[in-house]
Amino acid sequence: MIEALQFEFMRNALFAGLFASLICGVTGSFVVVNRMVFLAGGIAHAAYGGIGLALFLGIPYIIGTMGFSLAAALLMTAVTLRAAQRSDTFIGVLWATGMAIGIILTDLTPGYHADLMSYLFGSILAVPAADILWMLGMGAAALALTLYFYRDLIAISYDVEFAKLRGVPVRALYFVFMALVAVSIVFIIRVVGLILVIALLSIPPYIAEKYAGSLGMMMAVAVLLSAVFNIAGLWIAFIFDLTSGASIILVAAAGFFISLAVDPLISKRRRQ
Amino acid sequence: MDEPVISVKNLYFSYNSVPVLENVTFDVADREFLAIIGPNGGGKSTLIKLMLGLLKPDAGQVRVFNKPPAKVSYCFGYVPQDVLVNKGFPISVFEVVLMGRLRHHRRARIGGSDREAAARALEIMGMRKYENHKIDDLSGGQRERVFIARALTIDPDILVLDEPTASVDTGGRAELYNLLKDLNRTRTIVVVSHDLMVMYSNATAVACVNRQLYYHDKGEITQDMLDLGYQCPVELIAHGQPHRVLKVHEDGS
Ligand SMILES: Nc1ncnc2c1ncn2[C@@H]1O[C@H](COP(=O)(O)OP(=O)(O)OP(=O)(O)O)[C@@H](O)[C@H]1O
Ligand SMILES: [Mg+2]
Repeated sequence: MIEALQFEFMRNALFAGLFASLICGVTGSFVVVNRMVFLAGGIAHAAYGGIGLALFLGIPYIIGTMGFSLAAALLMTAVTLRAAQRSDTFIGVLWATGMAIGIILTDLTPGYHADLMSYLFGSILAVPAADILWMLGMGAAALALTLYFYRDLIAISYDVEFAKLRGVPVRALYFVFMALVAVSIVFIIRVVGLILVIALLSIPPYIAEKYAGSLGMMMAVAVLLSAVFNIAGLWIAFIFDLTSGASIILVAAAGFFISLAVDPLISKRRRQ
Repeated sequence: MDEPVISVKNLYFSYNSVPVLENVTFDVADREFLAIIGPNGGGKSTLIKLMLGLLKPDAGQVRVFNKPPAKVSYCFGYVPQDVLVNKGFPISVFEVVLMGRLRHHRRARIGGSDREAAARALEIMGMRKYENHKIDDLSGGQRERVFIARALTIDPDILVLDEPTASVDTGGRAELYNLLKDLNRTRTIVVVSHDLMVMYSNATAVACVNRQLYYHDKGEITQDMLDLGYQCPVELIAHGQPHRVLKVHEDGS
């Protein structure tokens, strides 16, 4: 591990992984406790439309994806707030539409697009330094917003009607935080790709939720778990020369199944 | 007479064009103890959410202290009927009660005085020793007490409880109704309950809700009602019993 860090791309990858963990742990916890994992998946896949658009127009990838995933996030959130029980179909449609637009626009763009694979599966080893700074900024913004609105977030996640009664701006907060999730997803796509982004966003908070006593604790544990998964996955990818994004996700999935396996043991211990 | 605390006029409400409440009109006076009764699905919880400003009427209006209810929502303490809100959410009893103080000072942050208020409310409901437990680990009745404590944290002018005794044991019920009687000296109380016997000992007015609302004031709550238990004509119709202790509802149906 230490000798791997002699390489600048490995140091960059390590930072990218750590900052992605900060973002994932904080925003992912919000997504998981609000049972919005499917919505986040929709945002991530709709972002592919943005990749196609960026390719087609020759504009920077970040502008295309940011635009598409933000638009998808706001639309999906609006529909979810209006009719929570019926929103899954709409999300599914936007999910597919975004991807289809992306594919058609790539078809219409002449040339061979080798780098498309890196958006699908991530390329943590090739994250540019500027993006790493962006990720740090995003992580800090997510953390600051969460700290400031911490009590409101608890309330809207736990009992939204009561939060409304107390005068919490529920709709505005949902939009702000889903926009935050959308922007986070754009950066995490860099690390693990859009197909796998959902795993990194949901697995660490899911495991953390079971052991944490509060939302804040859940976020902290999720950040730590995510960092462990990122570093371990990166290390395995380096040693065995594997795709980094997929390695990170497999480590996370292993963590998920281990937590499922040890669950019964823990609850048995508690009862005794 | 004094201004009513809550005034509902010609209120209509429907969910997806299925009518739930029709032409509901009544006032709640200051320091009233209004008991709302009626069959399942009669629209009691819906009426309460309209009074709180959580739902918007199709027609008619609700005024609280002569303002739209959403403008004065800080006056309300609310104990919802469905408290199993988000199972698995990691939250302690204390944090649930702290929710009652949200925006109490118009800011997003919670301070020392809010923590003290939450601790006091837990003390009143006899739940202080559980404050660090996870809310999911409590029994149904204990959880109910926590939600009542949450409503008490802001010392509300109007306390609204939707079936607060559904899962509380007999001793707890008596305690709760004594507490409500006490609170009623300084504030207005609206309670939905199927627990008629105990209700009538406190109530100063009774509203029967079954799509329409039938209002009965203090004079109509008699010792006979206490003896007979189920006295709302709506209930009588439902049970096919011929007793009528309350005034016959004017427009029948
Ligand atoms: N969110 C909703 N969407 C659609 N219909 C609803 C909704 N909530 C309630 N209803 C319907 O409105 C009617 C009145 O419901 P409400 O919950 O107000 O009854 P209630 O008097 O509180 O009943 P209970 O004694 O069971 O609590 C019912 O027929 C119910 O099916
Ligand atoms: Mg009800």
